Amino acid sequence: MKYLVLILCFFGINFMISQDLLLEAESFDEKGGWVVDPQFIEQMGSSYLLAHGMGVPVENAQTQVNFKKNGEYKVWVRTKNWVPGEWEAPGKFQIKVNGLVLENTLGLRSGWGWEYAGAVQITNKKNILELVDLTGFNGRCDAIYFTTSDVEPPSSMKKLATWRKTVVMEPLAPKITKKYDLVVVGGGIAGCAAAIAAAEQGLQVALIHDRPVLGGNASSEIRVHTLGIYGNFERILKKLDTEHYPNGSPEAHNDQIKRDNNVKSYENISLFLNWRAYDAKAVENKISYVDARQTASAERIRFEAPLFVDSTGDGWIGFWAGAEFSYGRESVDQYGEEWKEHGELWSPKQPDNAVMGSSVLWRSYEAEEVAEFPEVPWAMPVARDYAKVKGEWQWEFSRNDLNQIDDAEEIRDHMLRAIYGSFGNAKKLPEHAHRKLEWVSYLVGKRESRRLVGDYIFTLNDAKSGRTFPDGVVEETREVDVHYQTVLEDEKNPDFISEALFYKTPKYYIPYRSLYSKNISNLFMAGRNFSTSHVGLGGPRVMRTTGQMGAAVGFAASLCKKYDVNPRDIYTGYLDEYMDLIENQKYTPIPESKK
Amino acid sequence: MKIIVVTILICGFGLLSTQKLVRNYSIDEQNKTLSKKPEFFAMEWQEGVVLKNKPTPFFIEVETMGNQNIDILVTQQNRPVLYTADICTPVCADGECRLMYITLYWNLLGAYAGYDKVEGQTLTKHDHVEFLEQDYEKLHHLLMDDNSILKRKKIDELVLKPKESELDGVDAIAGATIAEVKESVVDGALYSCYVAWNIAHGPIKAELQEYTTSMFDNKLKGYMLMSSEVDYQMYALNSLSESEYLDYKDRIVQIFKLGIPLVRTYIVQNLPKLFWESESLQRPFWESFAEVDINNRSLLLNHIQEAPLEVLVLLASNLEIMTKNQLKLYLSAIENIAMTNPDINAQLLRFAESGNHIYAYIVAEFLEEME
Repeated sequence: MKYLVLILCFFGINFMISQDLLLEAESFDEKGGWVVDPQFIEQMGSSYLLAHGMGVPVENAQTQVNFKKNGEYKVWVRTKNWVPGEWEAPGKFQIKVNGLVLENTLGLRSGWGWEYAGAVQITNKKNILELVDLTGFNGRCDAIYFTTSDVEPPSSMKKLATWRKTVVMEPLAPKITKKYDLVVVGGGIAGCAAAIAAAEQGLQVALIHDRPVLGGNASSEIRVHTLGIYGNFERILKKLDTEHYPNGSPEAHNDQIKRDNNVKSYENISLFLNWRAYDAKAVENKISYVDARQTASAERIRFEAPLFVDSTGDGWIGFWAGAEFSYGRESVDQYGEEWKEHGELWSPKQPDNAVMGSSVLWRSYEAEEVAEFPEVPWAMPVARDYAKVKGEWQWEFSRNDLNQIDDAEEIRDHMLRAIYGSFGNAKKLPEHAHRKLEWVSYLVGKRESRRLVGDYIFTLNDAKSGRTFPDGVVEETREVDVHYQTVLEDEKNPDFISEALFYKTPKYYIPYRSLYSKNISNLFMAGRNFSTSHVGLGGPRVMRTTGQMGAAVGFAASLCKKYDVNPRDIYTGYLDEYMDLIENQKYTPIPESKK
Repeated sequence: MKIIVVTILICGFGLLSTQKLVRNYSIDEQNKTLSKKPEFFAMEWQEGVVLKNKPTPFFIEVETMGNQNIDILVTQQNRPVLYTADICTPVCADGECRLMYITLYWNLLGAYAGYDKVEGQTLTKHDHVEFLEQDYEKLHHLLMDDNSILKRKKIDELVLKPKESELDGVDAIAGATIAEVKESVVDGALYSCYVAWNIAHGPIKAELQEYTTSMFDNKLKGYMLMSSEVDYQMYALNSLSESEYLDYKDRIVQIFKLGIPLVRTYIVQNLPKLFWESESLQRPFWESFAEVDINNRSLLLNHIQEAPLEVLVLLASNLEIMTKNQLKLYLSAIENIAMTNPDINAQLLRFAESGNHIYAYIVAEFLEEME
């Protein structure tokens, strides 16, 4: 548990000396049924604890807090009501100190900010603090602030960041620095494949991932099955991929164990699970380091390496380092990606910021006994009269005023309202009397966000024509499939349901030049943030294909190390050797004993 | 132009006599008219209109059955309205073939518009059971879906039993499960549905659209623009020059108000610059702000810097329907007049104090920072 005691902080015009303590909720010793949600740190400032109980209040989170001085403390809690409106707030909770519930119920304010929980008399050094969930519907607690002063901590993001820095007094740079041959950020299928490929070639690799399990969208936390072909990398990708179960299936747990064990079996992969990168520094267009923070303890490490892989999905490393990137749909003429039959739905005459959406998968089951489900009036403006008992890939949300990165929390919350509301509607039907929610993800499964720009931008035309490249390292036969929200065609449709348009193609290839940054000299990218157009992404965004990208950059990194060169140099100077290395992956390596 | 529909299995020799009969049937039907709405029809029908068949150079060649001609249906004034063909095609499954008779209609852009039963010929299922009324209705619904699962699957993929683990769900690639196919096709008539869908949505679609394009004139442009058919509106809008945007400005505003989001988006994204340079030309679009969907409100707000003061005042009374990012965009646009314009200021205060509105806090914080 991490907390900070601050003495001699000056607040207010009277310059009263106050005793303050800031406690990050995610650092609680025991989280009970609350889960750590680090998805929106860049937007709201921190990981937080989420009471994701699918309508059943979760067990209390609990931690010990040590105070240096006794006295009366005012307790402020950073939280928000995630659906304010003419109804009871869905995510209400309380704070308990030493078994006593503080006077105010929390989770009531609009927008992230501080709510006053009440005053507490501290008479002992050691105290027990608990978060008491009241609803099971996604109450959220970011931090708890004890103060003897009368001043409310600031809520606006600008002021909060400065305040937090002052309160926490964290030095600018992490105290610990670690050095590797290759730092891979993002442990989805692409990142894992990159780490394995590089490790197999003898590189010391750091793999940084902000969740407790690997696989990203394929993980047991999101549960999208992997699609696409293996290309040259069947052996590696079979260590990571999934069976073809329905999306959302608990069978994802089996593949999770396989994947985690396989990655952990590489001694030269240093795995940093529950670590989230928060900065990357480039000097003269070359990344020197990536800084990451433990999502619960806030411990920090600086990762230095000559080469980095951005497999964050959102292109964060490239973004922080100043890499060129694109977002949204290009005009139909920019790359000539017209599909007349589907016109504007496929590719618009004017560019815009529409993208494919994010999914939140869910499922329910038939219980033996009749199961109750509470009224969810706060979900109904989204769900309307839609009634369902499970959600597959079509449960997808995108809207042009929402950025898939900056507004991801709102997108996730919109999907939660869609799910709870639709399930609530279904529960009103007699045939669903025994239905119970089994699993609802709280992680947004994104399809599209930032796309980093490489030396080559892959487009629909490369797929349509089956164009071959001298550096074609990824291959795919899957149709180019672009999604759109069905509400665009009929306002009566739910705004959280999508439709897919499939463009059949011959086998197509992605060149290595789409897998490293155009302007950041030591940055590879693999995954949905590779260099492609919006429509081009439609095909290779699935996870065996992104896995191929990962493996391809992992092998490229090994040659970069061998010759002490940058990613682009592999294309310009070492392509034959690189392509031989890629080609050789088709064959099972000869065991050392038989060489 | 030759369009071949490949049926699933080669029809048996026994069909030959029927083939002759069908050809006679086509000849007999020359010079016919259409005076009532097709029984299954996806478009609006103008009561009292009599449409005359005129031949086109197009036909659909059905294997073993020869050419099936496509006619264009025109008004008495010779304005094209629909395309049609009397189709007779073998439907074969498990080595057994039978004939399916159906009169298909396409709109001027080659999209499926509807169908009629052929007199004396009922549609049947595999077990020779005749279609029920709801089966005909379901076939119509299937044919209306231009993105049907039938489009991307071969017939053998549709009947292939999936693995046990696939029975419970679908995905965007393997996409089709038996469950999804069943939902969209007439039970027991997969092959008929498949054949009909592939004729209606086959290469003929593009051919017919091209044919319409070749005779597309101002009259047809005006007709399409005035139509309530979404794809006609889109096609016509796409053909407008800058001066035609002005000529049709009232209709364009009307479509923007009443059309589907996709068409509205096209309009707001493609309005000529001169609309945004003129207060009177852009005003009607802003006046639709509350009526249009969220996406189109955002697209309008992209032009807020070009909007006159009266529009900013108008928008102040619409704060409740703005999303978080729309509000932020609006607030940044009125930053300099928020405290000085009494109408705007009053609306901001009212909204900020409205309590439970999800984004009231954004305006409250904005006002706090302004003070």
